[in-house]
Amino acid sequence: MTEQPTQTTHSAPPVRNAEFKAAVLLVIMVLLVAGAAVYLLYARGAFESTQTLFLEADDSEGVVVGMDVTFAGFPIGRVRRIELSKEGKARIVVDVPRDDAHWLRKTSIFTLERGLVGGAKLRAFTGIPTDPPLEEGAARALLVGDPGAEIPRLLATARDLLENLNTLTAENSALAASLANIQGVTGKLNGPSGAMGLIAGDDKNAQQLTERANKLLVTVNALATKADSLIGHADTQVFGPQGVVTDAQATIIQLNGLLADARNSLKKMDAVLVEAQAVGANAKEATADLGTLRAEVESSLRRVEQLVNEINKKWPFKRDTEIKLP
Amino acid sequence: MNAQASTPTILQRLHHGAVDWLQTWWRLAQFAVLMLSVALTPATYNRANRPVLARHLVADTVPNLAWFGVLSALVSLVLIRIVVVTSLSYGLSRFALEMVVRVLVLELIPLTAAAFVALRTTLPAGLEFSQGRGAGTVATVQELHGEFYPRVAAGVFAVWMLAAVSCVLTLILAYLTLYGFTPWALTGYTRVVGQVFNPAVTLILVLKVVFFSFAVGLIPMASSFYFGANYRVKVTHGLSDMVRLFAMILLIEVASLMGNYY
Repeated sequence: MTEQPTQTTHSAPPVRNAEFKAAVLLVIMVLLVAGAAVYLLYARGAFESTQTLFLEADDSEGVVVGMDVTFAGFPIGRVRRIELSKEGKARIVVDVPRDDAHWLRKTSIFTLERGLVGGAKLRAFTGIPTDPPLEEGAARALLVGDPGAEIPRLLATARDLLENLNTLTAENSALAASLANIQGVTGKLNGPSGAMGLIAGDDKNAQQLTERANKLLVTVNALATKADSLIGHADTQVFGPQGVVTDAQATIIQLNGLLADARNSLKKMDAVLVEAQAVGANAKEATADLGTLRAEVESSLRRVEQLVNEINKKWPFKRDTEIKLP
Repeated sequence: MNAQASTPTILQRLHHGAVDWLQTWWRLAQFAVLMLSVALTPATYNRANRPVLARHLVADTVPNLAWFGVLSALVSLVLIRIVVVTSLSYGLSRFALEMVVRVLVLELIPLTAAAFVALRTTLPAGLEFSQGRGAGTVATVQELHGEFYPRVAAGVFAVWMLAAVSCVLTLILAYLTLYGFTPWALTGYTRVVGQVFNPAVTLILVLKVVFFSFAVGLIPMASSFYFGANYRVKVTHGLSDMVRLFAMILLIEVASLMGNYY
């Protein structure tokens, strides 16, 4: 830089229209600061009309003032305050802009999710969109989901399980004794007496048992042979050339012949019945005719009677009232 | 020199050094209060003093503004890009914007604005001014209004202006780098920025810029106000000004970090 003159009043080079430019700079500065302030106020929601929502939870750890409450991934409310309610529960005061409040209904659920990684998240869910809208100053319970809190419980359960496993597989435990016994059993199975020796126990009993089993088998064998011959006899009786079955067959053949005869006679009977039917029909006609005939006869008789009566009236002769019919 | 006389010399030197050190800081505090009273005096802004004030203001701010604007835009762009790409590769892209705003706008921009103005304007100007003054001269009221105050005010205003302009520029650049030239991400962006700038953070940022500007404006001029009589002070006070200035900046930065994150 060049050496400045020692005059104290003109140490800076002259600037044209310095005052105007300075004024412009000051104005720009004020505008920047004021604009930033307004933008930040708008960003923090100072110009939105909001309604209040109270969320209550047992534990509000992870919730910070200024956090968003999201609905379907979109921020729908902002946490204004966190305080303790009279019952000692955490109470979160949320501001919901009125423009977005229609997404929340009376039956909406609010959850606080705390993952193992990342902070807490407040979410809102609306199941039935046609329910009445959420009222101003509503208080709802907050459902808290925290997988991190499950880990101590999981660890405790795992520890118990491991302790149980330890006692189970210890040297003098029941499992070890059982396994030793199984070893003995399989050893006996592989041994000279095999499974029979195992079931019997010691060798003397095993021998006795095998002797008895042998005798039993011999008896059963003889029984089986006898049964065999019995069955053979029965077979001849039933299925032999002179057996029951042959007789039964002959009987059946005879029965067949009888049935055929019976069928034929029935057919004849049928014809007879048809005639009888015709006769019957004729008889019916005759009966019908008979009836008319009777009626006519009755009427003629009556006429004759009348005639006779008239004659009797007109002719005082006493005559036989009997009339000879032709 | 015999051995008996060396021990008191060391103690004396230590004592003198400590007293000098405390005295410089005390004088700095006195000068700051003096400048504050001049700033609040209406006579400072009368028709006679306004041209000088305006000239210093414009001369100290505008060249710096252009340079610093471009430089900070470039560095911001690089840093934002690095943060965004790195966070994307870890699947943490939703934290990228908050990190960019917190690191750049809240911390780096005010610090670099103050350092830029100090190194380019106020420290060299203060050194030249003090070298132009005679030894042991007492400042008159006219000099206060005409020489000291304009430089101090210009330094303070330059820091404010640079910080404000490059903060806004960085916010715009962050939006464009993250989302491109589309207006549809503005709501989400506004929300995140609003969440970062809660009242405490905003207050700390404003206070930090203000205190940085005071340090940058006052410290270089304070030593020329209290001009020491001995030669050693004249030569080294430029360097000691710089050290004092940056120590002050460091203190303010540490205080703001403690306020924000402790």
